Amino acid sequence: MAQTPALDVRGLTVRYGGTTAVHELDLLIPRGQTVALLGPNGAGKSSTVNAALGLFRPSSGTVEVLGRDPLTAVRTGGVGAMLQHGGLPSEARVGEVLRLVAGRYADPWPMADLVATTGIVGLTGRRTEQLSGGQRQRVLLALALAGTPPLLVLDEPTSAMDVEGRHAFWATMRSLADRGHTVVFATHHLDEADAVADRVVVVDGGRVVADGTAAQVKSGIAGRTVRFGCTDRTGLSDLPGVTAVGGTGDLVELATTDAEATLRALLAARDRLPDLEVRGASLEQAFLTLTGGTR
Amino acid sequence: MTDLLVFQLRRVTRSWQYLLFTVLLPALFTVFFTKVFGAQAADPAEYQEYARDYMVSMMCYGALGAALGATIRLSFDRASGWLRQLRVLPLPARTVVAVDVAVGMVLVLPSLLVVALVGRFVNDVELGLGSWAVLLGALWLGSGAFVALGMLLGLALEEKAAGAAIGILSVVLAALGGLWIPVWLFPDGLQLVARAMPSYWYGELGRAVVTGGSPAGAALVLAGFALLFTAAALAVGSRRPLHAVAG
Repeated sequence: MAQTPALDVRGLTVRYGGTTAVHELDLLIPRGQTVALLGPNGAGKSSTVNAALGLFRPSSGTVEVLGRDPLTAVRTGGVGAMLQHGGLPSEARVGEVLRLVAGRYADPWPMADLVATTGIVGLTGRRTEQLSGGQRQRVLLALALAGTPPLLVLDEPTSAMDVEGRHAFWATMRSLADRGHTVVFATHHLDEADAVADRVVVVDGGRVVADGTAAQVKSGIAGRTVRFGCTDRTGLSDLPGVTAVGGTGDLVELATTDAEATLRALLAARDRLPDLEVRGASLEQAFLTLTGGTR
Repeated sequence: MTDLLVFQLRRVTRSWQYLLFTVLLPALFTVFFTKVFGAQAADPAEYQEYARDYMVSMMCYGALGAALGATIRLSFDRASGWLRQLRVLPLPARTVVAVDVAVGMVLVLPSLLVVALVGRFVNDVELGLGSWAVLLGALWLGSGAFVALGMLLGLALEEKAAGAAIGILSVVLAALGGLWIPVWLFPDGLQLVARAMPSYWYGELGRAVVTGGSPAGAALVLAGFALLFTAAALAVGSRRPLHAVAG
């Protein structure tokens, strides 16, 4: 018998007052996948995630979670969630919160293992007010995992973490996928989607603009990256072939559909191109191209 | 629901301010004011009357402070995102609300009991066993009006306003409702204000029980307040779901 999908979103539209956050979005996620919802801030990721958790009723469209309506799926312990604006109660110890949450599920994750897996050993006796941002995030992840739910929904899970914490978090997410959990996470970190997800769904303006493996999303752009040191970015976006201008600080990254034409134009206009590098598009370039270089 | 109830009770009782303002302070006031003013009583009967009325007032003051303090905190849990977190757990929203109401009702009891014990054993208030039981029962049920008010404010107020409300509201209600200074000492205009306060009718309820009068009138007015606050809380709650972090 075919299993019902972990998440089945059809024609989802979410409006807040006059603005439409999600437009007729369709998303089918079979069980066992690790899916990144990738998009810039305001792309509609959180709205999609919150609708999937039954936190509000969509303006139109349907959402099914594990073959049931979202509220029932949450009530029956099928879903573990880490919310962007979720939080821990004050005047409570981490261990107390964990035990409360774990006790709500029929098949809780053994506590000692849960604490070790999420990297919060030594924090269970701590008051929630005394946690750092990264520690809070890890405790919130532990809450999401406490019931070993088949579906995990994580909204910007690593937003308060440093690089080290983020890498540890990715390792945890990969091991969850290996255990057969379906993991859906929203992120605007491209490296995160690339490192963890076996499927990347790029969302922008409330619509799915690309869907596939990280490699497919990248190759769908069939572009290249021209990278060089430069402080003045004026006119770069008008160069032939250029679809997006990215990079950080003094380093410019041009996503281009015609690397040769772009380079010719660059060399004609400039005496020097320090640290020049040309390579196949990274996921970041693909992302910038797809979302119109809004970053 | 017991797990969440125990969890929430433990959280509130961890805050020392809570115990200070709802149990210790009313108990100390009971002793202090009865010793100071009761000493001027002409005879033991007048002392009894004074000690008894002041005990009832302080039971009311402690209880309404406890009821409000335990429930207005709802606003903190919304601000921290904990209510939102509860919403994605296998836990019906109804249970979360029921537990908050239950926490308010349970936490009223220490204030009532401690002040009653102080009244009985420190200030020698004499009441029949039946009157003690009815007094505690009536004031416990009557505190429901303040639990409802606290739920309403917890839902309606932002975190900062809620924090201020916890500190100020019980003082204002107690003062204007005649729990600190008897209403018959108020100027006429203020007496009218006092009668518009649920705290005044809460005090009336307790005084009716200990003086052997009929508590029905005061109970009815309090029930009216409770209904009003509950209806308003439901209205605010439906417009602004518990899990909404803001807006």
